[in-house]
Amino acid sequence: MTSAIVLPVILALGLIGRHIARARAGRLYTGRGSLHSMPGHHGWHMALWIIVPALLFWALWSAIVPGLVESAVLAQPVAARLPAMDMERQAVLAEARELADNPAAAAFNPLASELAGPLHDADLRYGVAGGMLTLMLAFAGGAYGFTRVRAGFPARTRMERAVMFALLLASLIAILTTVGIVASLLYETGLFFSRISPVDFLTGLHWAPKDAATGEDFGAVPLFWGTLYIGAVIAMVVAIPLGLMSAIYLTQYATAATRKVLKPMLEILAGVPTVVYGYFAALTVAPLIRDLAIMLGKENPSTESALAAGLVMGVMIIPFVSSMADDSIAAVPQAMRDGSLAMGATRSETIKRVLLPAALPGIVAGVMLAVSRAIGETMIVVMAAGAAARLSANPFDSMTTVTYQIVQLLTGDQEFDSPKTLSAFALGFVLFIVTLILNIVALRVVKRFREAYE
Amino acid sequence: MSDHRQSSAFQRRLARRHAAERRFRALGLAAIIVSLLFLALLLFSMARNGLGGLNWSFLTGSDSTDAATAGVWGAVKGSLLTMAVTLLLSFPMGVLAAIYLEEFAPRNRWTDWIEVSINNLAAVPSIIFGLLGLAVFINFAHLPRSSPLVGGMTLALMTMPVIVISGRNAIKAVPPSIRDAALGVGASPVQTVFHHVLPLALPGILTGTIIGMARALGETAPLLMIGMRAFVSTPASGITDPSSVLPMQIFLWSDQIDPAFVQNTSAAIIVLLAFLLAMNGLAIHFRNKFETRW
Repeated sequence: MTSAIVLPVILALGLIGRHIARARAGRLYTGRGSLHSMPGHHGWHMALWIIVPALLFWALWSAIVPGLVESAVLAQPVAARLPAMDMERQAVLAEARELADNPAAAAFNPLASELAGPLHDADLRYGVAGGMLTLMLAFAGGAYGFTRVRAGFPARTRMERAVMFALLLASLIAILTTVGIVASLLYETGLFFSRISPVDFLTGLHWAPKDAATGEDFGAVPLFWGTLYIGAVIAMVVAIPLGLMSAIYLTQYATAATRKVLKPMLEILAGVPTVVYGYFAALTVAPLIRDLAIMLGKENPSTESALAAGLVMGVMIIPFVSSMADDSIAAVPQAMRDGSLAMGATRSETIKRVLLPAALPGIVAGVMLAVSRAIGETMIVVMAAGAAARLSANPFDSMTTVTYQIVQLLTGDQEFDSPKTLSAFALGFVLFIVTLILNIVALRVVKRFREAYE
Repeated sequence: MSDHRQSSAFQRRLARRHAAERRFRALGLAAIIVSLLFLALLLFSMARNGLGGLNWSFLTGSDSTDAATAGVWGAVKGSLLTMAVTLLLSFPMGVLAAIYLEEFAPRNRWTDWIEVSINNLAAVPSIIFGLLGLAVFINFAHLPRSSPLVGGMTLALMTMPVIVISGRNAIKAVPPSIRDAALGVGASPVQTVFHHVLPLALPGILTGTIIGMARALGETAPLLMIGMRAFVSTPASGITDPSSVLPMQIFLWSDQIDPAFVQNTSAAIIVLLAFLLAMNGLAIHFRNKFETRW
């Protein structure tokens, strides 16, 4: 709450400081070369000295204060009457917090309303103390900055050093994210594997996660099979021919004007959110597939089928395959095409015998990237593929995938450290590793391929 | 005589080859038409089911167990709050990282690591970001579950690589002569970048940002992980309140057994597609209006 007051005040102080320093540096200016840095740089230098230390302190203070407030409240005589059971205790404290933040809220527990007063007081006390300290720090920083406003002071160099630091920090976020993903997945997966053997997990054929389960119930092979069958087989059977042929038509046959119209239209397919595809798959495609299955003589087909999910996923991937194929074909040197045409080959012969073989590495890499997208796709399979873990090659059967199970396992109200919940992180880890390998290999292939023709 | 026979065989073969040529061409056109027909079918099916449900009370109402009174405003507001958090975090971070990598980064192993992880992050499945958000923001940092704050932070991590990659391309496209001229009249490297290169690259960066934001707006899976699937009957008033987002509302309604929700779901999809169309239109407008071919 106090943040809403403290932060604007600090920023306002920074602006005022910038103005003061700039004005003072301006008065020091006596002619060409009399100042090392422009008055504006002195202004920014001072503003940074006011804002940065104060903000850092305030962030630190906000991180440690909840603990201090709680221990202050627990030291009060009222707190002795708190229930000893950890869960009830937390519930009462949470309610008291709610009341302290919002006195108008209704109280269920009389103890909570008694605690709310002291909690509110402690909040206020620590908030005001922290705010005062932050303000003092801002003024101290400002004072230091002010004494630096001298003709010879290299304010610009100092400020630019701060800018470079900010740039580096922003780039490190990317590494931090990667490290965060790997560390969190690895940690939870490690907890999971300490209870369930990785061999059971990676080779077992039976998937029925329960809270009190043994390794036999955590065999993930049916999930891997379902994921690959939907994402790497059915979706690719749809996406590769359609994507490749549309890329060939757009690059080799279409006039510039047609291309300009058709290509963006095709790319709309990539911009449609996956939840929309999922709904379309469940609402329109799945019943059609079911009718088809009945026509083909399947007994009691379910409305959820691998085919419905894979088909729609394939359509979603078309623009992706198409643009990758487009790039690879465009990278084949014009001389090869001209040579083939000059020998009397027709355009389709040139495409089939010269361009496609030459562009093959790029196309294969594109397909790998497409597969990595398809197996990580979640909403379509959640809405259309089904929950049954099944090792089947019949596309009309319902099948489940890794992503479906992750969603399924993590969207209930389970204990966080049951094997059931942890298995979702193990599945996520496998998914992450597989997509990572596919991406790295594909990008390397693309790079080699480009270099070969340059 | 034999010459004539040969030539007629040649003619026949030529005719066959030309027929193959025409077939191949038709096949290519057919591939595009099939893909576009699928898109048309999708849009048509949403329009048929949903247009009837689009009215003022649907656009201003919030989620309800009754299909007739349920509306999308709560979800739209949640989406707007989430997008605001995403934009505020990912845009500055993405642009600063792009500037660093393109203009200042020394060629060393650290820079390679940063580049590799940005390129890989752009291809990591979105659900993995959801797992990261769940593990770090909710279980470790104890930020409020289901809130636009956590949703926005998760989506920001996902959007940042997109902004960095498009930002780098936009900065790369600014010709070196601009930098040389600025450095030549005595600007420092930082001044050169912030006063001259960045303003020229900004349209390109904005285009990439809008495209990244459009992707984040349609994203559902990571938000499912951090619990933004709560039933929320009053719109969130701040970024720490429990909230839903538009794609999540579509997902929740699609799960309803009551067939009356089919209309709501389709209508919500139309609203979402309208937002996406507007954002992409804006991106194309930016590109056409400000793009400079050097």
